[in-house]
Amino acid sequence: MVSNIIISQKEDCSPFEDVRAIKGEEAILSTHQDYCIDESKLAGGYADWLFFPKNERDIISIVNKMKEDKTPITISGARTGIVGSAVPTCGGAILSFDDMKQVKGISYDKDTQKYFVRIQPGLTLEELADILKYKRFSQEHNLDEEDWVQAFKKVERGHIFPVDPTEMTAAVGGSIAANASGGRSFKYGAMRPWVKHLRVVIESGEVLDIERGQYIAVNSKFIIKTSEKDIEIDIPTYKMPEAKNAAGLYAKPDMDLVDLFIGSEGILGIITEVDLWLIEKPEVLTNALFFKTEEDAINFVKKLRSIENLDIEYIEFFDKNAFNLLRSRRKTNPELANIDTIPEDTTTAIFFEIPFSDDTFEEIFVTLDEIATESNTSVDSGWSALDDNERDKFRKIRHAVPEIVNSIISKRKATYPNLHKLGTDMSVTDNHLQDIMTFYHQTLKETTLEYVIWGHIGDNHVHVNILPKNMEELDLGKQLYKEFAKKAVEYGGSVSAEHGIGKIKHEYLEIMYGEEGVEQMRSVKRKLDPEGLFNRDNVFSFTG
Amino acid sequence: MKIVVLVKQVPEADKVAVDPETGTLIREGITSILNPYCEYALDEAVKLKNTHPEENIEIITISMGPPQTKMALLRCLELGADKAYLLSDRKFAGSDVWATSTALKEGVVNLEPEFDLILAGKQAIDGDTAQVPAEIAEQLGVPQITYGVKVQIVDKKVEVKREIETGYQIVSARMPALVTMSKGSNIRRIPSMKEVLNARKKPLEVLTADDIGIDENKVGLKASPTQVARIFAPPEKVGGEIIDGSDHIVAAKNLLEFLIVNNYIKE
Ligand SMILES: Cc1cc2nc3c(=O)[nH]c(=O)nc-3n(C[C@H](O)[C@H](O)[C@H](O)COP(=O)(O)OP(=O)(O)OC[C@H]3O[C@@H](n4cnc5c(N)ncnc54)[C@H](O)[C@@H]3O)c2cc1C
Ligand SMILES: Cc1cc2nc3c(=O)[nH]c(=O)nc-3n(C[C@H](O)[C@H](O)[C@H](O)COP(=O)(O)OP(=O)(O)OC[C@H]3O[C@@H](n4cnc5c(N)ncnc54)[C@H](O)[C@@H]3O)c2cc1C
Repeated sequence: MVSNIIISQKEDCSPFEDVRAIKGEEAILSTHQDYCIDESKLAGGYADWLFFPKNERDIISIVNKMKEDKTPITISGARTGIVGSAVPTCGGAILSFDDMKQVKGISYDKDTQKYFVRIQPGLTLEELADILKYKRFSQEHNLDEEDWVQAFKKVERGHIFPVDPTEMTAAVGGSIAANASGGRSFKYGAMRPWVKHLRVVIESGEVLDIERGQYIAVNSKFIIKTSEKDIEIDIPTYKMPEAKNAAGLYAKPDMDLVDLFIGSEGILGIITEVDLWLIEKPEVLTNALFFKTEEDAINFVKKLRSIENLDIEYIEFFDKNAFNLLRSRRKTNPELANIDTIPEDTTTAIFFEIPFSDDTFEEIFVTLDEIATESNTSVDSGWSALDDNERDKFRKIRHAVPEIVNSIISKRKATYPNLHKLGTDMSVTDNHLQDIMTFYHQTLKETTLEYVIWGHIGDNHVHVNILPKNMEELDLGKQLYKEFAKKAVEYGGSVSAEHGIGKIKHEYLEIMYGEEGVEQMRSVKRKLDPEGLFNRDNVFSFTG
Repeated sequence: MKIVVLVKQVPEADKVAVDPETGTLIREGITSILNPYCEYALDEAVKLKNTHPEENIEIITISMGPPQTKMALLRCLELGADKAYLLSDRKFAGSDVWATSTALKEGVVNLEPEFDLILAGKQAIDGDTAQVPAEIAEQLGVPQITYGVKVQIVDKKVEVKREIETGYQIVSARMPALVTMSKGSNIRRIPSMKEVLNARKKPLEVLTADDIGIDENKVGLKASPTQVARIFAPPEKVGGEIIDGSDHIVAAKNLLEFLIVNNYIKE
């Protein structure tokens, strides 16, 4: 029965001494320093404990003991996050998911006619992709009596998990906590809709077993009954942007409880088990088209996404500066050899993927030919690929841009060790795509700053990368970043469409939801975790 | 004019690994690609077709391999081949260089007897023997030019710029002839959407040994005089020595000493 009341489960826990752990700040810093930092390179992480639980029972034991000792816990996935959300700046304990990579099973939901996998959250997206690709399931993986393993293996095209953040070494748990997304989120959304079921250990050391669809808010409230008390949670009242968004807690009056935990950056509890929906691998045609002007490219994008039956998988964008970066390296990087085959007057590229079958192929071609011509380009000068090897060439070219940016910055770091690139992560609503692009270019062109723009244009979510040449330029870039955030919010968007807020973007969250909105999030945290046991200083600062 | 391009599907080289215990290839996760040198050969054929409209060139690709080789042939059709034949039959299994050459030669003779030029890769990146094209030329009794980087048609002859140790050599031969291609100026091109679409409409035929009338005693394991006794991964290279370069004069001295001590140069 659907309800807004959930009763937490009291489960057994392991003896604390049996949990694999490293004790002592010195020991951790000397041999496991990388657990104190993530890809944000945010400094200042340290810890007294580093735990490697193997299962939920170990986690409950850690939570009970740390609560008793008043020691805060920072939850650690694969630490590929770039907002410092897994960096233990408050010290205490790190709880690593390295030893929780088990695949528990696979099953099939007859109502939705879809397969789902049950896994521990430490499994990485890459590992999950391989397990699905090679169908590494045996009889023990049947979650119920019926032999779905056998049936799953018989599906010739195979299955995939469709959400594709660029960094596939990210763990599933971290990706759920961050509500990560990728190019394909244009069609499939972020992690959120693919989470069918979660188990979460909360501060009381008890477990919430949350099946999507079972716990729905009533009058903007959830009630969580633990063995000690009833916790009443008021859902924040701010209105979330109608654009891709990974900033702050999910909040809607009639929301599902599972959505409160997805994207919460681990501030409300520890995810210990996950069920994820799968889809049959679609047959797709991957394409790149090249344009003389950015306006043409944006027009093409608008047309492409307006034709619903094309069912586009993703649409990615490279601006003139990004393109020039690729051109500058084409002689030294063999993977960029094909750049030479592109018409000379190209300034902008759009990469996109379309599902097809033998019956629809011709029709798709005709449609694309038409809108390409309307956008002053031609399908004859573009690229297409049908198989995975060929697709890989596209992927390498797309990934080359951020790699070149990073290599330029690391050279400049030799002179200015504290220099770093500034990468925006903002989205806007569909109708403001051209507006925000114009704003980015105009604002940046008034300065001397070097920049490139690329990213998920299908979702109106491009990454502006500013490459400062010195510390003054870095400061200037930071000011612009704030301007961009304000503008994105003005255009109905998010200050963080995919990377989250973590410990380094608090001020932007406030631009988006105001002080009041942040305060409402804080009060959800206080209700569920009054002492600040989990992930202090993520999303907003912890005030004891 | 008819140009036959011989193409082989190979595992992607940098991903191939040998199981040290069983000595067999680890196949899981290895994707197959069109052998890069075959792709360059095909590209060269397409260039000839584009630069010699008066010759009315038709490009025919032929491969011998398991059924999934169709993917490599589809790629050839995308890149500009006009038609493709796949010789696929259990009777071909276990063929060594000799038997492979025999099968391909029979294929050419039966399917495209009027050929003017055969282009092949200089070697396959898996077998790496670089012998198949040479043996086909011998069996057909046509001239062969190896390690080409550029092919031209001049006065009904084929003129090839070929790599040699000290530079390049230009050689010409009467046609029909066989040329093997190195990389040259070719790249592994990404086709256009139109090419991808058109490829699916071009003829791709899968043929058995019987279809082309090959005597089954001439191909396959039984007809293969050589056998692979063992395959193994070469021992991993040990890391080299790194000379500290913070002072370039000291570094140069150390490097000189290293070269002398190890007999790379004489004092
Ligand atoms: C090169 C590069 C490219 C990237 N591209 C993308 C992209 O395209 N899209 C995108 O969305 N992100 C991207 N990211 C950011 C990052 O990869 C994602 O945010 C990723 O999902 C984080 O997963 P993780 O396992 O590394 O999590 P971590 O960084 O370890 O943690 C992220 C957060 O999740 C929490 N957490 C981890 N496990 C749990 C758990 N079991 N229960 C509760 N909380 C938990 C952590 O405490 C932390 O708050 C990129 C990063 C890099 C370095
Ligand atoms: C792992 C491994 C195991 C093997 N096992 C056996 C075995 O058990 N028994 C055995 O007898 N032999 C075996 N061989 C040899 C195998 O038969 C040769 O790979 C084959 O004869 C082709 O030779 P090559 O790959 O050296 O081609 P090369 O001579 O290097 O290829 C040069 C060019 O010839 C053409 N060409 C070559 N092969 C074909 C083809 N099939 N179709 C169309 N064109 C082609 C292409 O244009 C190619 O670029 C094995 C090889 C390998 C790599």
